[in-house]
Amino acid sequence: MSQTDDGTDVRLADGIDHQVAMVMDLNKCIGCQTCTIACKTNWTDGGGREYMYWNNVETKPGSGYPRDWEEMGGGWDEDGEERTPGELQSKEEYGRAWEFNHEQVMYEGSDEPLRPMEQPDWGPNFDEDEGAGEYPNSYYFYLPRICNHCTHPSCVEACPRSALYKREEDGIVLVDQDRCRGYRYCVEGCPYKKVYYNAMKKTSEKCIFCYPRIEGEGPEGEVLPPSCAEDCPPQLRLVGYLDDEEGPIHKLVNEHGVAVRLHPEYRTEPNVYYIPPFAPPQHSESGESIEAERIPRSYLEELFGPDVHEALNTIERERAKVERGEESEVMEMLTTTDTADQYRLEVFD
Amino acid sequence: MDRKPTLLAALLAIGLVVTTLVVPALVSARPAYEIPVANVDNSTTLDTVDGEGWDEAPSAGVSLSSSGAAVPGGDESTIDEVRVASARTDERLYIRLSWADPTRDTSADDVRQFADAVAVQVPVNESARPPIAMGSTDNRVNVWYWNGLNVSQELLAGGPGTTTVLSDSNLESNATYQDGRWHVVLSRPLDDVSDNRTSFSAEQDVDVAVAVWNGSSMERSGAKATSEWHYLALGPGPQGPPYETILWLVAGLGIVFTTLVTIEGVRRTRGE
Ligand code: SF4
Ligand code: SF4
Repeated sequence: MSQTDDGTDVRLADGIDHQVAMVMDLNKCIGCQTCTIACKTNWTDGGGREYMYWNNVETKPGSGYPRDWEEMGGGWDEDGEERTPGELQSKEEYGRAWEFNHEQVMYEGSDEPLRPMEQPDWGPNFDEDEGAGEYPNSYYFYLPRICNHCTHPSCVEACPRSALYKREEDGIVLVDQDRCRGYRYCVEGCPYKKVYYNAMKKTSEKCIFCYPRIEGEGPEGEVLPPSCAEDCPPQLRLVGYLDDEEGPIHKLVNEHGVAVRLHPEYRTEPNVYYIPPFAPPQHSESGESIEAERIPRSYLEELFGPDVHEALNTIERERAKVERGEESEVMEMLTTTDTADQYRLEVFD
Repeated sequence: MDRKPTLLAALLAIGLVVTTLVVPALVSARPAYEIPVANVDNSTTLDTVDGEGWDEAPSAGVSLSSSGAAVPGGDESTIDEVRVASARTDERLYIRLSWADPTRDTSADDVRQFADAVAVQVPVNESARPPIAMGSTDNRVNVWYWNGLNVSQELLAGGPGTTTVLSDSNLESNATYQDGRWHVVLSRPLDDVSDNRTSFSAEQDVDVAVAVWNGSSMERSGAKATSEWHYLALGPGPQGPPYETILWLVAGLGIVFTTLVTIEGVRRTRGE
């Protein structure tokens, strides 16, 4: 726990100097999956990682990736002391790689369209854009997810060999590939299902918060934000340290309370925060806007916990300020295009 | 002096000595916890699970129970017995394990798949008995591990969760699955003179414990069926440590002594 100047508490895990964190503004996500591909081309292109999406974008409401991950358990009990055991998904639930008729179309002169050989019935984001609700008030939004590099990570606690650990310098959660013996307790222990089993290597693997990039290990030696953040076309991610009091993450999370955690009731204390979606109001049969929120608050509360109400109320107030031509620090931070403000990764060097 | 009581005492003594030698053999064919070790000349007859050398090695039934380790499923193991035989040549020590498992699990290609496995644990220091759950920091164990993916590894451990693979292993394995049973032979040179490896002097008994994992019940890590400490009867003597024989002998001598004292007492009372 560290106390900041303005008296707000920033809880860091024991023995951690700083904590990397990300804020994702769900109002900007267009579901293009560029982040997914950015991560995949960097880290999960082959070698048993084909089925893994360390970054995935799923439609909400929806089953997500892997399918129904929110019902698989993991995380901590109400006191945050005992782990609640989770389950393992089969590869089918993640979505197997489909075989396509490349051979026939490209080399054997078939005039069939290029398509999967078998009828696919599940895959990552298979229920894209289905959402919920009735016309004309159906609704959905996109939820990008990576490992939350939690402050109280149940994946770390689940491993009887201490193969998973939180890096001292920045709280990134990593799997020591030499210690891992493929037991998969971390896979079942993470309630967000963000640890993956590599069946080829027989070890577990996960998002590394692009640590070589933030350490400046790139070709020109410059510090770069994680790929999923940098490559995002609408630039919806802010990256920095939770304990950087001057940074937008600390302000949005701790001062203004507009960035909230996904499923705080899992009690792993995620360090990825979301600006909740602010949908247009409902429409009447005749197409008039009416005074009713399109995305039910109860659903948002299910996802983001009770703090989502205060967050949405604050965002509404801040938006109104901007509409009146007043200044809003919150809206400033959420709309900046200055990468120096979006990515503050060199503050503690 | 009347010779009768002395004769009687002598007969009693002989009888007891005979009883001492015969009764243990009748009570149990072999001391509990002993894994006999057969001496075999030709190592090639021991390399495979059905090699002829194994005909000379009697196997012992070793009962297993859940390890109780602090992992999910740590008290839900499914295999409850393994048959263990052992043999040695001048160079190598062999252990043959066999257990019933109706499911043959030899893949870990899906997230939910685990392979069957077996492991044998011996103390690094052959004369110190380590804590049964993977030893401790100052009393470590060697583990010979095999699994259904045909991985065999020599491991070093100093407590739960500390197993580390030893490189340059001379561990060899052979396994078959037949009629619902796994048969696995593991062997290693007796005297593997490298750090952290048990060196079997073959002059004393050595503690041994066994663990079995059933892959289809998602057993792995501490979710396993484990035995208590047994011992490989590598030491001298016909079979195993003599404590059972010693106990009988002490009891026998005790009875002889009491009898003699009684007889002497009676004689004195009679004023002989
Ligand atoms: S999201 Fe899951 S994998 Fe990532 S730190 Fe938290 S518990 Fe561990
Ligand atoms: S931070 Fe890097 S490793 Fe993690 S999801 Fe994003 S691109 Fe992938």
